Amino acid sequence: MYYVAEINEEACVANKGCRLCIMYCPEANCIMMNDEKKVAFVVESRCKGCELCVVVCDAAKHKAITMQDR
Amino acid sequence: MSKEKIVINPEFWDIIPQDYRDLVDHATYGKSDRGWKDVGSSTELIAEHSLCAGCPESIAFRHIMASIPAPEDTVMVGSTGCTSLVFPMVAVQNIHSLFGNQNAIATGLKRALAYRFPNQVKDVIVLAGDGATVDIGLDMTLQSWFRQEKFTTICFDNELYANTGGQESGLMQKGFVAKMAPQGKKFEKVRLPEIARESGCAYVAVLTTSKPSLVERVVKQAVLIAREIGPTYLQIYTPCILEIGKQSMEGLQEMRDSESAGERFKFREFITPEAQAFIDDMNAKKKADKLAASANN
Ligand SMILES: Cc1ncc(C[n+]2csc(CCOP(=O)(O)OP(=O)(O)O)c2C)c(N)n1
Ligand code: SF4
Ligand code: SF4
Ligand code: SF4
Ligand SMILES: [Mg+2]
Repeated sequence: MYYVAEINEEACVANKGCRLCIMYCPEANCIMMNDEKKVAFVVESRCKGCELCVVVCDAAKHKAITMQDR
Repeated sequence: MSKEKIVINPEFWDIIPQDYRDLVDHATYGKSDRGWKDVGSSTELIAEHSLCAGCPESIAFRHIMASIPAPEDTVMVGSTGCTSLVFPMVAVQNIHSLFGNQNAIATGLKRALAYRFPNQVKDVIVLAGDGATVDIGLDMTLQSWFRQEKFTTICFDNELYANTGGQESGLMQKGFVAKMAPQGKKFEKVRLPEIARESGCAYVAVLTTSKPSLVERVVKQAVLIAREIGPTYLQIYTPCILEIGKQSMEGLQEMRDSESAGERFKFREFITPEAQAFIDDMNAKKKADKLAASANN
């Protein structure tokens, strides 16, 4: 079983310029921008489940990321 | 070199792994204004590596790789330690040196590149841990500065030997107790930034990787000053969350705590008047170009 981050598209405010999770995720090419929808998304195969993205998103009160079992 | 040199032979395109194709199609080689803002919408120059989940060394690596001004014309030199687990996954030419030898290798490399490509820019960047930089490699580090070798030295300071399980390093804080240093360190943290300044570095900065825009500014400045003027040194706090007993998501807060007023990683930089004049000149030129471009539109 894997523990990975998932982004709720409704709650993500990347369209307003937020890039916090993309800035701080320790893994490269792991959280990317969907340039059409203007939301961030997680490339699950690269996620190590550290939860740092949840911390930065929650601290900014967006609460768009949750951790999931896969 | 330009991005053209890494074009794949079309005959082989179908057997090239997707990660590699992404690099060819979406990496920011040859982009003059590349920076951390490209991440998320371009392919970064690092692929999956084996550092611990949440390791700030990984964050710092991402910010640095996004910021180096000319990755296609850069050779990096690494050393043994946790950083050496990342280098095989870095899409910039790099050399792994024997533990501690990194600044000696970089010296030879920089001179050889200048000789072989006299009319091209070739940047050399050393990136190594604190053990490699200030303990076992201190001789090589200092001698390269004394000799005014024109490359950048970046130290990932996690204040101990992480890769071998937490031994004391010269950059560890006084009194700190680690798994393999149970009595607590008896001496002060070595003041390597000040030593770097006194040893002839044209630019020195101490920071954490909590602000990618700051990392971008200092990395660009350090590489460009090394290209034109003389040695430069960056010391970046990349706490080893594993060895200091933090959870995987606590690295960022640890860095923020360490950079408040009076703390050991409060941002500071030293720059020689010559290097400052060079940067001012460059910024003035950039401004003039921008003005000219907007006047033409
Ligand atoms: C010549 C030599 N001496 C010792 C070692 C063992 N060794 C491997 S990693 C390491 C410590 C690395 O510490 P540091 O440079 O701070 O990097 P970190 O792992 O903390 O990022 C040591 C002593 C080695 N590989 N080669
Ligand atoms: S931090 Fe949260 S709101 Fe901001 S881009 Fe990431 S998921 Fe969206
Ligand atoms: S859990 Fe960690 S590795 Fe996974 S997306 Fe979030 S920050 Fe990145
Ligand atoms: S041991 Fe420490 S420095 Fe090395 S990868 Fe793990 S957290 Fe990072
Ligand atoms: Mg170390």
